[in-house]
Amino acid sequence: MRTHQVRSYLADVTTDSQYEIRVKGHLGLRWSAWFDGMSVTNLDDGTAVIRGTVVDQSALHGLLQKLRDVGIPLLSLEQIPPNEFTDNQRT
Amino acid sequence: MTDTAGNVIANELLATKLHAPRRRRELVHRPRLNDRLVRSHQPVLTLVSAPAGFGKTTLLTEWFGDVDDSRALTAWLALDEGDNDSAVFGSYLVAALQTVAPQVGITAVAVLHSARSLQSAVAVLINDLQTLSDDVVLILDDYDVIHSTDVHEAIAFLIEHAPPRFRLVLASRADPPLPLARLRARGDLLEVRAADLRFTDDEASTYLNERMGLQLAPRDVGALEVRTEGWIAALQLAALSLRGRDDVAGFIANFTGNDRFVVDYLAEEVLERQPRDVRDFLMHTAVLDRFTGSLCDAVTGRTGGKATLEMLDRANLFVVALDDRREWYRYHHLFADVLRARMLDEQPERLSELHRRASEWFDAHGDASEAIAHAMAGRDVERAAQLIEMATPMMRQTRQEATLRRWLEALPVELFEDRPVLSLALVGARMATGDSIGVETLVERAEQWLQTPHATPIVFDHYEFTRLPIQIEMYRAGVALLAGDTDGTIAHATRVLELAEPSDHLPRAAGAALLGLAHWSLGDLDKARIRYTESLECFVKANFIPDLMGVSLGLADIQIAQGRLRDARRTFESALKHASVYTALRGTADMNVGLSELMLESNDLDEAARHLQISTELGEHAGLPQYAYRWRVAMARLRQAHGDLDGALELLSEAEAVYNTDFSPAIEPIAAMKARVQLSQGDVASARRWVASRKLAAGDDLNYVREYEHITLARTLLAESSDDTVAFVTRLLAAAEAGNRERRVVELLALLALALEANGDRHAAVLALEQALVRAVPDAYVRVFIDAGAALISLLRSVSLSDDAKRHAQRVISGANPTNAPPRRGGLVDELSARELDVLRLLRSELGGPEIARELHVSLNTVRTHTKNIYTKLGATNRREAIRRAAELGL
Repeated sequence: MRTHQVRSYLADVTTDSQYEIRVKGHLGLRWSAWFDGMSVTNLDDGTAVIRGTVVDQSALHGLLQKLRDVGIPLLSLEQIPPNEFTDNQRT
Repeated sequence: MTDTAGNVIANELLATKLHAPRRRRELVHRPRLNDRLVRSHQPVLTLVSAPAGFGKTTLLTEWFGDVDDSRALTAWLALDEGDNDSAVFGSYLVAALQTVAPQVGITAVAVLHSARSLQSAVAVLINDLQTLSDDVVLILDDYDVIHSTDVHEAIAFLIEHAPPRFRLVLASRADPPLPLARLRARGDLLEVRAADLRFTDDEASTYLNERMGLQLAPRDVGALEVRTEGWIAALQLAALSLRGRDDVAGFIANFTGNDRFVVDYLAEEVLERQPRDVRDFLMHTAVLDRFTGSLCDAVTGRTGGKATLEMLDRANLFVVALDDRREWYRYHHLFADVLRARMLDEQPERLSELHRRASEWFDAHGDASEAIAHAMAGRDVERAAQLIEMATPMMRQTRQEATLRRWLEALPVELFEDRPVLSLALVGARMATGDSIGVETLVERAEQWLQTPHATPIVFDHYEFTRLPIQIEMYRAGVALLAGDTDGTIAHATRVLELAEPSDHLPRAAGAALLGLAHWSLGDLDKARIRYTESLECFVKANFIPDLMGVSLGLADIQIAQGRLRDARRTFESALKHASVYTALRGTADMNVGLSELMLESNDLDEAARHLQISTELGEHAGLPQYAYRWRVAMARLRQAHGDLDGALELLSEAEAVYNTDFSPAIEPIAAMKARVQLSQGDVASARRWVASRKLAAGDDLNYVREYEHITLARTLLAESSDDTVAFVTRLLAAAEAGNRERRVVELLALLALALEANGDRHAAVLALEQALVRAVPDAYVRVFIDAGAALISLLRSVSLSDDAKRHAQRVISGANPTNAPPRRGGLVDELSARELDVLRLLRSELGGPEIARELHVSLNTVRTHTKNIYTKLGATNRREAIRRAAELGL
């Protein structure tokens, strides 16, 4: 039985899936901590990419809900195979 | 705060959830949106679905908030995470409606607590709403926080069955999982989405220049409108940024010249322009969902919180007032997230401290729920565990076990190792919500603490700690009961009574009840009766009336079995008296079914029908688990008494489908009842088939649980003129005598008389009959003789009896032939009135209740009353059946 954990702002250290979420608009890098320590990269085309490890589906939906609550438009969501992800930009 | 029934009622803080928001000062009137409302023909559901900051609530206050103009009763409810608990949601739903219609929902709340079904409560609430003559609008704000399927289903149910004058309005950041497509297709949905809510150029111009007092050129307004895409929150932030700024052009150039996410950019602009202390205030208080001046002071460690809030309110800086007195506020949701994100980035190390201060303030102000939430958010699980432990007794009493369980299961599992009281709290919460996962492990660990000398577990509620041994024994008794381990149940329940103090009324009541049940299963009716009586007394002392109902039912059943009919009657009536302070308490319907059966024993058919009608009117939710089948059995017996044997069999089959004795021993199986009816019809073959299927034989060992079936076998043997009958009945008689089961004794004596008569031994038959009659006098048993068949009645007529016996024999004989003609199939005790015949005529058509009411020019309630009376008089349980029976009777 999985231990129930207190909802935490800090990132969990696991080796689970990597996800990449693209949003419309640049975000200040200070948002990284809010998004569970995921990296935030602003691209030239006016979009931003939020990238990092997500423990499970519930955590993914929690992240999507945070994005929803801030109101930033979602563009795409992709799971990145582990070996392709070499540059884990953790703060 | 709670009332005597343990219901959660609104207090000062919670009233903010019901508060209708005020109309905003800088309102831009938008006729294009208002027209949509006017042209929409009052659909049952209005949905405003858009992200945060699009002005959903503002729109709804514009549409529905004008109390003077509006002809509708408008109720508001702001939802939050806690409303995912069905009990909490139901209570708030009713409380919201009661702000405009105080008379609705009283029964719904009772149903919520006794039947624990949100949907049943909503069904009853809908009935109440139908009695209102005004239009009713219910607005649920922030519906997106709801993820509970029970709540979603209850809302879908409400929409589907809403009365004609009722409208539901939902404001949400995401489309809710309701059947929107279907509603859309039916024209029953008014939808407002982000695209509708975005400011147009004109609207943006009005807002920025007229409302916010800026003097922007059309080109600048246009640039802002494009950049923000008409997003109101963004425009608001832009306006705040521009206020008092000289270099408008520079600002707009910067703003439009980058790709920053608008809210991020603008919020930072606005925040940067605030004085340092205001910025700190904003960021530190952002950890709070709702705040008031003194709470802000506690969290910021400063003073002047109230003044700061008032200033923010006046400057229109992101706070929303939650009440009319301007005491409680929250931040605009969007802004709160921006603040929190900044906090996490700039001062994460301060967060636990801020949460701890908030937790302490809420604890000191009696809000356990918020105190615990903040302790959890600050990751201070130990503090949270302590608060939960202390809050448990109150949560139990107000029956918020679902919430308690959610709190406890959010704690790390390791915490429970050292906290036996907390562990038992989780055990109780799980079992109360129908789940026994992992419970045994928790109990064993807690027990170890009790058995280890010099042990020092972590305990905060010391009184509960002293009660642990009792709690553990109660738990084990319950487990034994579930496992069918009667000896184990007796052992542990006895321990409970040994450990309990004389003033521990609740554990004594529960323990005695379990003992009563166990003894009953073993056939020891005397002990069972004594324990049940003890249990009842303790429940009364503890003032725990709901639990008293089930025990009363058991006690009465035993008293009836032991031939103490007057005692049983007193038990039912006493229980109903205790229940009268509640509305439709679960179990009141069962008491009435019980009284009906008592009346039937003495062949008082009118009274029996009357009590059944009362129980029907109380409704299913006023019944315990046994109710469904026992009502049908009682009604079947009533039909049989009227000579409708086929109808009785039909109902008994229905009863079989819903058979549920809860935990009571299954001593009168319905299949056996059916066999008896079949014997009365002369259908010996069916009865014999039943005997074979149950593998019953005259040579069986006898025991209490099978007694009813064995007596049924005896009747079958009698009908088959078997030689074994006399000997078998004599054996059964000895057992019933030994067990003090008076009613069975009378029944068996009557059977014995018939068997002896059939053997040609008239003298012995008369003696047995006389004995039966004499013993039947004190409790006025009449039915038992009539049910023995026509042969018994003719025996009664033909023999000369002693004086004592003769009087009762007369009573039986006249009971066997009520008033005029011999009972024809389907004869009615009460004829239908003229009005009832009118309603019956319309029931045959396709018309629904409201249409029938219109046809007859009466209220829906009147139609309902007539319909109920019709059903009871015809002995029907639904419309189709009533029509069929009426056709049989030629009505």
